[in-house]
Amino acid sequence: MFKIFRRLWQVNWAEQWQYRANLIMYLLYWLVSPIIYLAVWTSIAQSKGSVNGLTPNDFVTYYMTLLVVDQITSNIVIHTFAYKVQDGSLSGELVRPIHPMLTNALVNNIAFKALTIMGFIPVWIVLFFLYKPDFSSVTFSGILLALPATMMGFLVGFLLSAAITSLAFWTTRVYSIHEFYFALMLLFSGQFVPLTLMPKLIQDIAQYLPFQLLIYYPIQLILGKLSSTQIVQGYVTGITWLVIAILVFNWVWRNGVKRYSAVGA
Amino acid sequence: MSAETILVEKLSKTYKVPEREGGFGAAVRSFFKRKYNEVKAVQEVNFRLTQGEIVGFLGPNGAGKTTTLKMLSGLLHPTGGKAHVLGFTPWELKPDYLRSMTLVMGQRNRLAWDIPAADSFLLNQAIYRIPEDEYKKTYKELDELLELGPLMKKPVRNLSLGERMKCEIAAGLLHRPRVLFLDEPTIGLDITGQAHIREFLREYNRRTGATILLTSHYMADVTALCERIIIIHHGQLKYDGGINELSRKIAPFKLIGVILAESNSHDLSKYGTLVRNEEDWEKQYIQVKAEDVTRVTSGLLADLPIHDITITDPPIEDVIEQAFNQ
Repeated sequence: MFKIFRRLWQVNWAEQWQYRANLIMYLLYWLVSPIIYLAVWTSIAQSKGSVNGLTPNDFVTYYMTLLVVDQITSNIVIHTFAYKVQDGSLSGELVRPIHPMLTNALVNNIAFKALTIMGFIPVWIVLFFLYKPDFSSVTFSGILLALPATMMGFLVGFLLSAAITSLAFWTTRVYSIHEFYFALMLLFSGQFVPLTLMPKLIQDIAQYLPFQLLIYYPIQLILGKLSSTQIVQGYVTGITWLVIAILVFNWVWRNGVKRYSAVGA
Repeated sequence: MSAETILVEKLSKTYKVPEREGGFGAAVRSFFKRKYNEVKAVQEVNFRLTQGEIVGFLGPNGAGKTTTLKMLSGLLHPTGGKAHVLGFTPWELKPDYLRSMTLVMGQRNRLAWDIPAADSFLLNQAIYRIPEDEYKKTYKELDELLELGPLMKKPVRNLSLGERMKCEIAAGLLHRPRVLFLDEPTIGLDITGQAHIREFLREYNRRTGATILLTSHYMADVTALCERIIIIHHGQLKYDGGINELSRKIAPFKLIGVILAESNSHDLSKYGTLVRNEEDWEKQYIQVKAEDVTRVTSGLLADLPIHDITITDPPIEDVIEQAFNQ
């Protein structure tokens, strides 16, 4: 199994590398909105001293950590997979004895990240010197706790996106469905603003939803802002969602492939 | 394991195709209520293949060849009947089954487009769990037969159609499948390319004893490779038997194509049946019985100012159409 992943990695890496110019554009697009939020919130906080108790440095550290976490937990599976269902090129992958989504598409996503991170690092360093954030609240144990949480966030996000992508077996409108998912993500993940600034109701809902597992929860872990109860709560929510995501994805995938093979692969 | 490598019984596939007329009104109506048309692509087809056979699977476009191959390779669920290949039910997509067969479609490529084929080969080695020494041995054999060497290091998109087909086929055979489903493996290739692939398939079959079921548009593919032929037309099995009996059954025709040096005012219909050919309007085609070819040709050459003359086999579709569409 390891060998399969290694070879998949080589192929996908080489393929992604062919499109590096594309990737850089994609990356810049990806970075624009968090950087704008960072700039806007920081200047608001600077002019007022603080916003709801959050200092300028709180905003800078939050968004600079978000940039890193988002790099790791986000995925592009909708863009790299849905079209294969629609134009039938998935057929070739279905008759291979490996899972098209859980091997090839997964590795493809990781290769994509590995490549964009190379473009991302210089941007991050520039921001660091521009804003000179104070990361003194970050501890080694916080990072240790955040690592599995970030992986968990990635897996939950990947499986949910994969499940939505697999709706392409039924409908060609899968991109709009994914857009809707993305809008929810923006609202409930803490990407738009730190969740503590959201209305109480949204905060209450958000903690039970999977979205914050991809952004808010790992950030707060890294920045050492969570009590031990909150840490445990986060992990419990994460594992629950991971199980749900596995079940949902499996169900959608199995029935999707059945349908694909019923209507003419 | 049963004696039959491939067993097909009453295999059927009916597609439901959404149907609507053009125009805005129809689009709105179809949004609420869709009309479906049933298309019977394959209807109760039966056949068996034993190990080591090479069988040509023929039929005009839309006859149900590809649909049948897709069912046998597991890509499609049938609407009725059953099929066993190597003892497996294909559409269960069991990894053990997928590891012992291959599906090569001439019009689809499975090799990664932007990188050299060598990388895709190594990936296949991992996917099909081929041990290193076995991989090397198989690759060497394939290289010998197909002369892959110079092609392996170029990105696949820079290969010619024929070169790519060689790589596609080789990639599909690295795991030494015992059953090969080949859909139009020589499509779009020139005569030399076709001959190459054919020779290769014959040799591969001889060396490994693999069972091969192939579809093709080219009669030459089939006559060169297969002793047995299965013909389907409108989804129904029309013929299953030796290729020689088939040629006895369908009157062997040849097409004589003629370009006259002068105007086309001469009446050619006295030499044989005139056939229209949309692709080649310059030439006039006369269909004659194979045994009359020499007589008619020399007659033509003697009587008329011939600028160009060719003698060809009629397209496979026409032959089948004539034989089974009465």
